[in-house]
Amino acid sequence: MPQLSLTPFELSVGRIALAAALAAIGFYFLLPRPSGRRIGPGIAVLIAAAAVFAAWLVGAFGRPMPDLVGTTLFGLFATAAVGFGAVLVTQRNPARGAIAFAFVILSTCGLFLLLAATLLMAATIIVYAGAIIVTFLFALMLSQTAGPADENDRSREPLLGSLAGFGFTGLVLLTLYLNHLAAMPVGEATAPAEARQPVRLPVAVLTSGERQALSEAVSRLDALIGRLGVESLPPDAIEPLVSDAEAVRDKIAVVVGSDEFSRPGSIRERLEKLGTRPGEPSVTLVRSDEQARRVLSRTETVRRLNQQAQDALQNHLLEGKPDRVSVAARFRELRDETLLLAGMADLPARNVSNLGYLLYTQHLLAVELAGILLLIATIGAIAITHRKGVTS
Amino acid sequence: MITLGHYLAVAAALFGMGLVGFLTRRNLITMFLCAEMMLQGVAINLVAFARFHGNLEGQAFVVFILAVAACEAAVALALFTMLYRRGKSLDVSVWQSLRELGVPPTVDTEPLPPPPAEERVVLPPAGVRPPRSGDEEVARV
Repeated sequence: MPQLSLTPFELSVGRIALAAALAAIGFYFLLPRPSGRRIGPGIAVLIAAAAVFAAWLVGAFGRPMPDLVGTTLFGLFATAAVGFGAVLVTQRNPARGAIAFAFVILSTCGLFLLLAATLLMAATIIVYAGAIIVTFLFALMLSQTAGPADENDRSREPLLGSLAGFGFTGLVLLTLYLNHLAAMPVGEATAPAEARQPVRLPVAVLTSGERQALSEAVSRLDALIGRLGVESLPPDAIEPLVSDAEAVRDKIAVVVGSDEFSRPGSIRERLEKLGTRPGEPSVTLVRSDEQARRVLSRTETVRRLNQQAQDALQNHLLEGKPDRVSVAARFRELRDETLLLAGMADLPARNVSNLGYLLYTQHLLAVELAGILLLIATIGAIAITHRKGVTS
Repeated sequence: MITLGHYLAVAAALFGMGLVGFLTRRNLITMFLCAEMMLQGVAINLVAFARFHGNLEGQAFVVFILAVAACEAAVALALFTMLYRRGKSLDVSVWQSLRELGVPPTVDTEPLPPPPAEERVVLPPAGVRPPRSGDEEVARV
């Protein structure tokens, strides 16, 4: 069968456009209309759109590395959220739509749980699914008319509305994909498909030991940055600071390497040794796997920043410039890049207390403003529904 | 490993569907729930960024989104109650006169299907003996 030789860029853009178009057609079929809607074809087209979207996701952002439980849970929650969302938009009966929205909230809270946001999961279920949806269900049931009604059985401009909404969504997904591509070296995305072997790398791009070492380095860097930010540093605190900084530097250098001591680092050793021994896949395999390429370029960045941060600290201690603020900024850059290399951050397990600390120290003004907003909303709600001449 | 991009794409899908629902539906409550679905998409975005940058700033902002959504629900419900009292309907097209000038009015050309006719069940009044035909055997007690 003749294979369409599309570049990966064209393939991804084509998939986004196809998913958006199929979704628009599916919603056009399913939005309520007095003259009857085509439910069967609508659902079939929507399932096709979801399949194309999933194919684009897997193709564009790389095949997820083996993490079976996490991937299964993500797939489950994401599918449920998108599926029940479609039910909310197309369901004729608003009470059923509200129940579908409750399930959207539950799936979204599942995604929150996967992202280590435990307070938000509980708070969203209680506030949204518990308070808002129940209130609106009561309001619905008190005002429902039996049988076909204008508000339930008609849609405003189903075709144009679906096209506009999914055109916008397609553009957002395209922007996401283009930003993702910007991390790749120029020219790779436009290489023809046959030159890229879709074979998986036989070794892991980043082992869990390396990831753990990098995460520990990140938390140590956080502590270091905290100490660097202190107003005045007593002279006996300088020694431990320097030794901590050197310990972090060595910890990072084990993984990413160091130019000063000409160490390649464990990532480069593992990935670049491929192809030097006979019988192993060639070096082009490493270059054609986008995750490997991205990790290698980021390794280089972290190596450079590691050196820069240490040099800045040494210069500050010896000569007094750069000042401590810019040294802390250098360490913060290093911390952010190391975190991106590790791939996923470890958020503190005591989520509630850390979130409370953050809200009441750095976002105090916003908390007060939110409280005032809630007060005004309560007063406004009472004022709107107040009937003149009716005593309570 | 599920990367940041996966979460952002799912959030974009939720936002897009909420947008379509808000633009096309006419029931006030359904429109409101679609707007809330847009907010959920944004919340997933923020929490995913918080996870992948290693700080809790994104989660703090979602706390504010939650507070604002609660306010919005209270005020929206008050508005819908008042509009229902005046218009006797939850249809947003009843209030077309509030639109900007120059937009053609929404006229529903297709008629709604008639409501399904319920079977009228006729029950005999209690206590009255139903008429009996002549050739029926009656047990004279």
